[in-house]
Amino acid sequence: MQSGILRPALATYTALFLLFLYGPMIVLAILSFQSIDGGPQFPIRDWSTYWYQHLLGLAESSRVSQLPVGESLVRSILLAFMTTVVSTILGVMSAEAFRTKFKGSGPAFYLIILGMMVPGVLVGLGMALLSNTLGIGRAWWSTSFVLHVVYTYPFAFLIMLAIFNRFDRTVEEASFSLGVPPAQTFRRVTFPIIFPGVLSAMLFSFTLSYDEFARTLFTAGRDLTLPLSIYGTFSVEIYPNIFAFGVLTTLFSFTLLVIYGLLMKRFTAKASRFSGQEDAA
Amino acid sequence: MLTLSQISRFYGDTVALDGVDFVVPEDTYMSLLGASGSGKTTLLRLIAGFEEPNHGEISINSKRIDGQAPHLRDIGFVFQNFALFPHLSVAENVAFGLRYRAENPLSNNSEILDRTQEALKLVGLDGFGHRGVGAISGGQRQRVALARTLVCEPRIVLLDEPLGALDANLRARMCDELRAIRERLGVSFLHVTGSETEALTMGDEVAVLANGRITQSDAPDTLFSQPRTAEAARHMNAWNTFDGGLCGDALSNQEIAVRFDQMEVCAPGTAPQDHLSLKAQYLTGEFNGPTALSFFRASDGSLLQIIDHLSQPRLPDLIEGQDYDLHFSSNALRQFHGAA
Repeated sequence: MQSGILRPALATYTALFLLFLYGPMIVLAILSFQSIDGGPQFPIRDWSTYWYQHLLGLAESSRVSQLPVGESLVRSILLAFMTTVVSTILGVMSAEAFRTKFKGSGPAFYLIILGMMVPGVLVGLGMALLSNTLGIGRAWWSTSFVLHVVYTYPFAFLIMLAIFNRFDRTVEEASFSLGVPPAQTFRRVTFPIIFPGVLSAMLFSFTLSYDEFARTLFTAGRDLTLPLSIYGTFSVEIYPNIFAFGVLTTLFSFTLLVIYGLLMKRFTAKASRFSGQEDAA
Repeated sequence: MLTLSQISRFYGDTVALDGVDFVVPEDTYMSLLGASGSGKTTLLRLIAGFEEPNHGEISINSKRIDGQAPHLRDIGFVFQNFALFPHLSVAENVAFGLRYRAENPLSNNSEILDRTQEALKLVGLDGFGHRGVGAISGGQRQRVALARTLVCEPRIVLLDEPLGALDANLRARMCDELRAIRERLGVSFLHVTGSETEALTMGDEVAVLANGRITQSDAPDTLFSQPRTAEAARHMNAWNTFDGGLCGDALSNQEIAVRFDQMEVCAPGTAPQDHLSLKAQYLTGEFNGPTALSFFRASDGSLLQIIDHLSQPRLPDLIEGQDYDLHFSSNALRQFHGAA
């Protein structure tokens, strides 16, 4: 094979691809360091951290009003957290149920998966209509929350399904044969072993809910979540403070990823296998 | 005493077990020999309660246990893949049952520690308690699995091909140790294996599982030298089983068996008068070290093997493709009624 040319070519292609992927974010990050009199585009007049100060309310009075994200950020994080907890619990429980074939497991599977397939705008609209009909007020913590769970739960479910698919059932049977009842077995054996999967399910649920837009748009009611309030500022005029905010939220996401990575490493290192066979002495 | 009566288990249309009657007496090392796919693992899983039989009864000391949840049966199980808890250390693996079992769990840490130490000492793993189960070898994992089971003092221990994952040297050594450990504890072991050598070496008694039934259960030497059924003979891997009609009309319509080491070879037509004989073509030989196997094909296509010990060679020089007479004394013959 012509691997002499192929490898560098593929490497270059991959590098360019990654650059393309992160290009928008890089531009955004650069522009966030625009000076006070600069606009939301190139050229950079002068480097400064003014817009970060502005964002955090540390800057002196300004012609630009402060980004109204404080409360919506808290709301979004709270909503993502609630969604994560509920979706992950549901995902683990239903994946556990799907380990054995039961009557109607086929339709049930597709009905669960449907939640992530149907267009968000439609479900959002449907939910808005339904809550109007039933006379239920719309709010981020009620109607939006339900839709976020409907949306993220299939992801958590699929992840846990994949985890259970590779799960060695004999360790549970070993626990039973030692006289340990099923509930204790789940707590002491199954759960610790599937925990990396649970972490992944949580990460997915959190990030999906955190920047969910379409479903929330129709169902959040008066109090906005973060993606909605950022979108709201676009309709006025864009200043680099949005970019600064983008960089900070990206950093927040990276922090979550790092925590996830560290936890993963900790829990998978323990289970790392010694594959050789030596003399038993 | 563990008793199985008329145990059957189907998977759809496939019959795994078809009316198994089987008894494992107290304080016995029982080997269960069966080819792969014979249902031997299924049988163990039924006893342990991981699956339920479609028909039949399982009881221990005359008390029925089928239908009971596995964790209430008080039956130990050692898995072929050991099934150690990967997130726990060796000592935590061993202490697991004591700590979390439903009946009579121990909460006194020093007692748990003592019993764990004792169990590890029993299997020769003193001082390995703090290791992760990923950081020990296959043979050591096997011992941890055993210690974990034995420390709970089950009424009977089921071992599902426990030596299958070990290499040959280690297997031979674990054989002796398993026997020794069992004798010290006085609990019955039911050891399932596909290897006749393992079954005969280990067992105080050996049962042969074939066609979904226990075809014979006997002491190893009895089973080896006097198999009662053609299946049992075939499982010993030391018997030629073939249609008696090959040796003349007197034996026709019977399946007969002659041991590899009790058949002789001579040129066609020179077999002794008082011996039974049949014609067969020499196919090839196989040298195994201390023994050599010669393969013959009889006129009806059945494959026959003759074993020769290097120290006492008794076969003439054989030429591949030539016909020979195979003969044996009528004392060496075992007859099973019914057609092959």
